[in-house]
Amino acid sequence: MSLLDVDRLTVSVGNSKGTFTVLSELTFRLEPGQVLGLVGESGAGKSMIGRTIAQLLPKGFHVSNGTLVFDGHDMLGIDERQRRALLGRDIAFIPQEPLAALNPVLTIGQQIREHLAHVARGEGRTRVADWRATAIEVLQSAHLNDPAGLLNKYPHQLSGGMCQRILIAMAFLSRPKLLIADEPTTALDVSVQARIIDLINEMRRANGTAVIFITHDLRLARQICDEVLVLYAGKQVEFGPGPAVFDAPAHPYTRALQLAIPPTMAEHRGLFTLPDRMPGLMALNDMQGCRFAARCPLAMDACLSTVPADVTVGQGHRSACLRPMDTGTIQPPPPPEHRQRQAGTTPLFTARDLSRHYVTRARLLRKPDTFAAVRSASLDLAEGEFLGIVGESGSGKSTLARLLVGLEGASSGQMTYQGRDISGMDPETAAFRRRNIQMVFQDPQSALNPRRRVGAIVTQAMEVMASTAADRADRAAELLSEIGLSPEMAARYPSQMSGGQKQRVNIARALCNVPRLLIADEIVSGLDVSVQAQLLELLLRLRQERALSIIIISHDLSVVRYLCDRVMVMYRGEVVESGAVDTVFANPQADYTRKLLAAMPGETGQG
Amino acid sequence: MAALPLWLRNTRSVIGLTILVLVCAAALLAPVIAPHDPNEQDLLNTLLPPVWADGGDPAFVFGTDSLGRDILSRLLHGARVAMTVAISASFGAMLLGGFLAHVAGYFGGWADWLIGRIIDVWLSFPPVVLSLILMVGLGSGLWNVILAIILVDWTRFCRVLRAEVLVVRRRDYVAAARLLGFSHLRTIVREILPATLPLLITLMALEMGIAVVVEAILSFAGMSVGNEVPAWGQMIADARQDIYTSPSTLILPAFAVFITVFGFNILGDGLRRSLDTRLTQTERA
Amino acid sequence: MFATLLSLFLRRLAVAVPTLFVVSALLFIVLRLLPVDPAAMSLPPNATNDELAAMRSTMGLDKSLVTQFLIWLGQILGGDFGNSIQYRLPVWQLIGDALPATIELALLSMVVATIVGLAGGLAAFYFRDGAGEAVLDLGSVVILSLPDFLWALLLMLVLGVWLNALPFMLRLDPGIERPVITGFLLIDTLLTGRLDAFASALKHMVLPVLALGISAAPSIMRVLRSSLLDVYQEDYIHQARLRGLSERQVLLRHGLKNAILPTLSLMGVQFGFLFGGTLLVEVIFSYPGMGNLMIDSIRNVDLPVIQIVGLTYCVMVLLISTVVDALHLVLNPKLRAR
Repeated sequence: MSLLDVDRLTVSVGNSKGTFTVLSELTFRLEPGQVLGLVGESGAGKSMIGRTIAQLLPKGFHVSNGTLVFDGHDMLGIDERQRRALLGRDIAFIPQEPLAALNPVLTIGQQIREHLAHVARGEGRTRVADWRATAIEVLQSAHLNDPAGLLNKYPHQLSGGMCQRILIAMAFLSRPKLLIADEPTTALDVSVQARIIDLINEMRRANGTAVIFITHDLRLARQICDEVLVLYAGKQVEFGPGPAVFDAPAHPYTRALQLAIPPTMAEHRGLFTLPDRMPGLMALNDMQGCRFAARCPLAMDACLSTVPADVTVGQGHRSACLRPMDTGTIQPPPPPEHRQRQAGTTPLFTARDLSRHYVTRARLLRKPDTFAAVRSASLDLAEGEFLGIVGESGSGKSTLARLLVGLEGASSGQMTYQGRDISGMDPETAAFRRRNIQMVFQDPQSALNPRRRVGAIVTQAMEVMASTAADRADRAAELLSEIGLSPEMAARYPSQMSGGQKQRVNIARALCNVPRLLIADEIVSGLDVSVQAQLLELLLRLRQERALSIIIISHDLSVVRYLCDRVMVMYRGEVVESGAVDTVFANPQADYTRKLLAAMPGETGQG
Repeated sequence: MAALPLWLRNTRSVIGLTILVLVCAAALLAPVIAPHDPNEQDLLNTLLPPVWADGGDPAFVFGTDSLGRDILSRLLHGARVAMTVAISASFGAMLLGGFLAHVAGYFGGWADWLIGRIIDVWLSFPPVVLSLILMVGLGSGLWNVILAIILVDWTRFCRVLRAEVLVVRRRDYVAAARLLGFSHLRTIVREILPATLPLLITLMALEMGIAVVVEAILSFAGMSVGNEVPAWGQMIADARQDIYTSPSTLILPAFAVFITVFGFNILGDGLRRSLDTRLTQTERA
Repeated sequence: MFATLLSLFLRRLAVAVPTLFVVSALLFIVLRLLPVDPAAMSLPPNATNDELAAMRSTMGLDKSLVTQFLIWLGQILGGDFGNSIQYRLPVWQLIGDALPATIELALLSMVVATIVGLAGGLAAFYFRDGAGEAVLDLGSVVILSLPDFLWALLLMLVLGVWLNALPFMLRLDPGIERPVITGFLLIDTLLTGRLDAFASALKHMVLPVLALGISAAPSIMRVLRSSLLDVYQEDYIHQARLRGLSERQVLLRHGLKNAILPTLSLMGVQFGFLFGGTLLVEVIFSYPGMGNLMIDSIRNVDLPVIQIVGLTYCVMVLLISTVVDALHLVLNPKLRAR
């Protein structure tokens, strides 16, 4: 008997506008000790399965059809008490945001103790004998240093990685039969991510635990999953053994996703960009045929009218597509044009020995305590060149970006633009800098004023100049079409746009005054890969059409490798390595760069 | 309801507005509709009960007080004082507190420090005590009451708004505006103020209610507009001595204070629900 | 824990000293705006101009405002609070009689406000999205719309005058002699074993305490409810449920422990207001505390008393906020780490 048997599970949400299907007819089995990857882009319904098992669906959501049997228990039929008896004992969960998942006012020890008591009650024991010793043992199993000391610590005193280790240790202490891990490494740095994955793997083997691993990252899924289930708009489009799905995808969506991810190590290639975006819940009700048809490169007329049935394409490998065997015909475009030529050599921008110190504690009559966020960073940029700055959180890369555009003054160091010194913060220098250097901010949610219309946002720079409303409307239309949005969008508010569209508006605003240099801080992080691919193509197109130079700051090495000519690696405020992208990736010199590259999850499949 | 702007279109705001329109109408029309001069004493008809009680006189609908003055007329004229104080004092407190909040929150540094310390000093006074002391210093009179309330209650605006400005200030769109060449003033007016405005309006509604209460407290203590001007608090104070014989002289002005403050509070509550971006966002999700 | 608490108290003291300095300067300046002559007031009406001038110079009124302030401040720091003009008694003696009464009243009211407020907040949270919440919500707006002094009058009218259930004048039934040891009536009656006096004192406090407690409770209730709603959006609540904890455990161990922190901040401010609220409530119930002293000395323009009473109110508010901060420090580990 399977550990988990899900049959035609359908979850719906009812609100004032009607009833919508969030998850439709999900069907799969999970055997004990197996790892199932649940992959898909945000909004595909990945997180619903964990919430359904726990019966902790958000308000208004309900299971409208299907069955879900775990270890002989009908999870949809059992009562509250029985379900709670399974949760935390036979079924354990690992969260996405480890820091937020621990109670900030209780010590780690108190939280482990509470969980030990819950597990003990399940085994019929009323008291936990010597919880402290047990807790220390539990923490040791997750390879945490100084477990005794950790017991008295509060979550805010620990790093995200440590909190995740603690939560993993707690999850496994009851030797659960099933573990549900919802994006457990998304909030963590790349190097921490790899170690967390290792830990989950080690613990699940030791305890014989089956895992449902929910992720948006195909590379990660490939690395650890025995079986993979691909979700698109609430529908299961492909299911099968990991190697089969990744090496010979039988659904065009899977294939397209793979090709939308820039390769980390493999040969350079172009990115396959899916047009448009995944249909929202509201649109699904009116849809006749395949949900993917509108974006599918293989779509035929039949796809728009027939809902494709699940067809078996191999041993345990199913696909919901009318043309499952033709996915191989989807090929990546050639590598981007800049790969074939040298970047310009005319120097545009230089920075020498930039440093930024923050006062962490002012002291009376003595030198204050300071923290160096950036320590003597230098860089050169030629006209039309793309430079990538990579580093993990706390590396100082975002502070450096703020120094480069003049949002903050450097503690020391010098910057020049076309030979002119722009280190000063005086109004004249600031105006010069503004005309030539602009910034694209990381989070469009925070970077776009929710109370302004898109048209006003993109032409915001004209507000301080002599310009008429008609001028601005014309310019807005121009800018919007340049970044690939229809001019009608000018009348919308940011809240009426998707994440990718907002990020385009964010870019358009920076382009309004035709700057020569853009500083882009993590502008694709948090976006789905298909949207990311669209944005990367947009940047490359701007580069070609406008001879724009960009300094792109990112934690994602493959994005930098795809876009940039040169790369600079930062670690704890210092530049540890810089050079041409291909040289650094093929032959890293600094230890830290080597560590970073080794931690990257591998490729997703054949390119 | 459909004619109202979206942010007023909820039951609470409508109830509040209806009450306040009625009170305002009473205040504006008092000289026209009041059946008697509010200060006219009729010593033959003192402490008359309201018409619906035994011994009521139709000439004095709500009865008379211990000096034979018509309660209804005094209530109507009292609304003039209450509404004048509510509107002017809360507007003044909003201007002063809002201005300092934006300066402190936006510029930070020593300006923020200084304004923060001033607020600390103000907060160490219970508001009632501070307003009483200010009235002792300023002397009675309508404009002094308003001034005293402004000087006491600007901190309510300043504290809450400053925290909000700090949140908005950290948004990237504020940094973006600076990078696009916006001056500090333009950044505050165009980027920050629109975001703090909903909170400011909500606070205004609540502050008007508070101003009505403070005026009632001051006139109850005999420190407000002076004896010749009828005010609700003063009516309540006068009625205390007749609490055994004529409780209606106490209950009626107390109810006038209550219903007006309730109007402002329920309007503020409605505004908070429809304007508070944080609330509406969680409702949307 | 002890060290952090100690450092908190030292820090608060370092802030309180300049604050009180500014407060006393403000009081001094505001009260000097008065068009009254304290010298004339402290002399009989038939005093001659020479006597007046002599009095002015002994009171220091012929010196500059700054000098006058510094002299006054020096006297206060030296423990000399001056004399009441109307009672011809040292001010400290008047305060010494009135302050314990007010503290007793305020403390009991805070206890009532806390119990009613927290219980109401929990109930409103428990009945969220139901009819119960709407009732509690509307009820809290109604209660908030009646200020404390009107509650006092209303309770007096209903429970005192109409139902004749509770006394509403002074602190003791006539005929009971008031024992004085600490100045706190409830404590003194117990210390002297006078249970009848204790019961009488307690009865006399019911109405004023109810008036103050009821009007402070709704704000506490609303903040607790909204903090609980906020906390329940957090991941750790979801995670606690995923670990199989019951809703009761989730609420007590995870929800309340976090939601109480913002509630506590509000209670600090609210209790400052409540302390100010005692002023009129005391006047209404003829309760011999700071409020009656204040109004009495304002009516008689007894400047030395007004100044010191005002200052005393500030000291009490600073004390309340220090205690609330200390509680915060005990309950919130994030504050302790710094």
